[in-house]
Amino acid sequence: MRYVVGYTANARGHDAVHLAVALARNHDVSLDLVLVIPEDSPFNAVYPPEAGYNDILNEQAQRWLDEGLDLVPEDVTARAHIRRGDSEAQTLIDAAMEFDAAALVIGATNSGLLKRFTIGSVASSLLHSSPVPVALAPNGYHRMEPITRLSCGFGTRPGADELLDVAVESARDRGLPLRLVSLLALDGGNSPGLADAAWVHAADRLAAVGSPAVGGSAEAAGSDVPEPEIVVAQGRTIEEAVDRLDWEDGEILLIGSSRLAQQRATFLGSTANRILRALPVPMIVVPRDYTRQSS
Amino acid sequence: MSTAPKTVQSKDSSLSEKGLKAGSVGLIGAVVIGVSCIAPAYTLTAALGPTVSEVGVHLPAIFLVGFIPMLLVALGYRELNNAMPDAGTSFTWATRAFGPWIGWMGGWGLIAATIIVLSNLAAVAVDFFYLMLAQIFSNPELGELSKILPLNIATTLVFIALACWISYRGMETTKGVQYVLVAFQLLVLGWFAVSAFAHVANGTAFDATAISPDWFNPFAVDSFSQFAAGVSLSIFIYWGWDVTLTMNEETKNPEKTPGRAATITVLVIVIIYMTVALATLSFAGVGETGLGAGNPENQSSIFAVLAGPVMGPFAILMSLAILSSSAASLQSTFVSPARTMLAMGHYRAISPKFGKISPTYKSPSFATIAAAIAAAGFYVITRTVSENALWDTITALGMMICFYYGITALACVWFFRAEAFRGARAFFFKFLAPLVGGVILLVMFVKTAMDSMDPEYGSGSSVGGVGLVFVLGMGVILLGVVVMLVMYRLRPEFFKGKVLTRA
Repeated sequence: MRYVVGYTANARGHDAVHLAVALARNHDVSLDLVLVIPEDSPFNAVYPPEAGYNDILNEQAQRWLDEGLDLVPEDVTARAHIRRGDSEAQTLIDAAMEFDAAALVIGATNSGLLKRFTIGSVASSLLHSSPVPVALAPNGYHRMEPITRLSCGFGTRPGADELLDVAVESARDRGLPLRLVSLLALDGGNSPGLADAAWVHAADRLAAVGSPAVGGSAEAAGSDVPEPEIVVAQGRTIEEAVDRLDWEDGEILLIGSSRLAQQRATFLGSTANRILRALPVPMIVVPRDYTRQSS
Repeated sequence: MSTAPKTVQSKDSSLSEKGLKAGSVGLIGAVVIGVSCIAPAYTLTAALGPTVSEVGVHLPAIFLVGFIPMLLVALGYRELNNAMPDAGTSFTWATRAFGPWIGWMGGWGLIAATIIVLSNLAAVAVDFFYLMLAQIFSNPELGELSKILPLNIATTLVFIALACWISYRGMETTKGVQYVLVAFQLLVLGWFAVSAFAHVANGTAFDATAISPDWFNPFAVDSFSQFAAGVSLSIFIYWGWDVTLTMNEETKNPEKTPGRAATITVLVIVIIYMTVALATLSFAGVGETGLGAGNPENQSSIFAVLAGPVMGPFAILMSLAILSSSAASLQSTFVSPARTMLAMGHYRAISPKFGKISPTYKSPSFATIAAAIAAAGFYVITRTVSENALWDTITALGMMICFYYGITALACVWFFRAEAFRGARAFFFKFLAPLVGGVILLVMFVKTAMDSMDPEYGSGSSVGGVGLVFVLGMGVILLGVVVMLVMYRLRPEFFKGKVLTRA
């Protein structure tokens, strides 16, 4: 299996490589570092005309990629590619399709002035259009050890069951403990009724996708992985709910998304953005209707 | 967990890739690119007045004559660009031909010319920005705001900073926007000319002047000084035209498109320049009072004064055309000095910091900001010292273009000296055309430089009894010599020919 890493020679790119290595170590995955350089439009009307800038840019890109490959430890296979394109996001998607990649890994935020509060434009466009799962490394992600726990953000929107399928399967494949996380934003303070309802709903859905019984003491069927845990987190805002949860260093959150033109404004525009803003661990956004390749 | 060894980077990008979309530009597209590089609405408002002040009614003649050296040099430029494509252009070519010292000064001349045009573009954009506000709100006082020095300088710096930021971010003007900008400029200039002639026909012109064949006779210009000044100004109005000649892979038909596009661009530009020049002269005459094109008050930005009386309420379209074309040029012109500085940094002719590329935007980071600071600095100094900054910068710019283009043309002659006599084509394109063009430009440069020592030259500003244009033009070149000597002390390897070797 291959992961495409959207590489840039800055903190954002380093975060992406670190996360990609961590993910690769859970699974037999090789990495493709892709550096996108822009395609000049002749219609920009640069004068006096020159034709050599791109040679310098190419040379620089090769050096940047060498640095990127140096970040990858010996036990992980990695290749590097320079790609040209107007849109960095689209070029990464094209590369992911070309390599038949299982995921795209990128750093979530530009290391700009407002880094804590913004998702980079590349990450943002990928979240709205990528046909493969997108793994977002939070700003300053340094860990390269394997992932230790998989969380799955769980809601009541259509598509939640498919996401749950993906989560259960991924956790099983990688031998990771799974945690179902239901985030509730309640303006009026705590509401035990709602939280209980969310818990019951999550347990129902989990049972429906064929996972072992939840809440009881039943042994997980056919696997030595601990049974999935269900957590309902609440706060006045989504950010507060995320803050209140405990996160392991090696955790990763799986979350569903809608493709372009399908609820993207409601789901990715608000909730995912807000989760990412508060989330201390990486996040994988799975496209709607995404069926995992059998690995 | 995989234990496979890390593989070596696969080089799937070849260095020959130019980074331009191959085959994406058709004939009309190439003409649009050519016209947009010239930005005729901006060039006319900036250069028409100063040229009239030198050559009076012989403006059409000078506009026609000024094209000849430009054409000759552009032919040589194309040969160099094909033989040695390089981001450093004039800098690299002159270094390969004449060695590091002249090469360095060629690069400096190119950077200086583009920096000067940046500050002039920003200033023109600001003038028309306030003029447009005045037209929108029918409040002439708003237009006067651009004459308040601190406000003018502050607004210009904001414009420069914005254009720098856009260029740094690697944002480009798209095809659609460029088509609209070019069509709009041509439409508005045509409108202006037709309205002016209509006023002449109706007897409502300011100073109706009958067109005479004498206007087209360059030999009727009073003195060689005026002729040289006029030609060096008209070099500026064609600056940008030759961009189509250097287009190759990006055109749909590399064999035919560039040549045809260049020819059509020239025809379009010459027709529009002639029409507007004749319309302006017929409508306003060259008198030195009122709306006359000879009135020094009007000459720094002729359309700011004439568009209202000629076009009536539609004058706002002229403001919009000039504002949009100068703003677009401002952004794209930033690319050029930044890339030349980047190349010079890359070849260790200046601090390697200039060779830095932004990892996020993949644009020259340090060099783009340096270009903005230099343009801002140049504007602040000129605006503070000069009585008429626009006028004096354009005149200094004409000189600077003659300087670096002259060097580039002679570099072509010298670089190809071994092949110059291998056939008629090589003789003409690699030897004769650039030689004649380069010599004409350098003669114009020397003559203009000498004349500009006169404190009355240009707008009549002077520093210590020497004309401001001379101080600006020669000052910039001398500054280049000083910086070059400092660089020689700091990083001698380039100057010893260890980085770029002579061919």
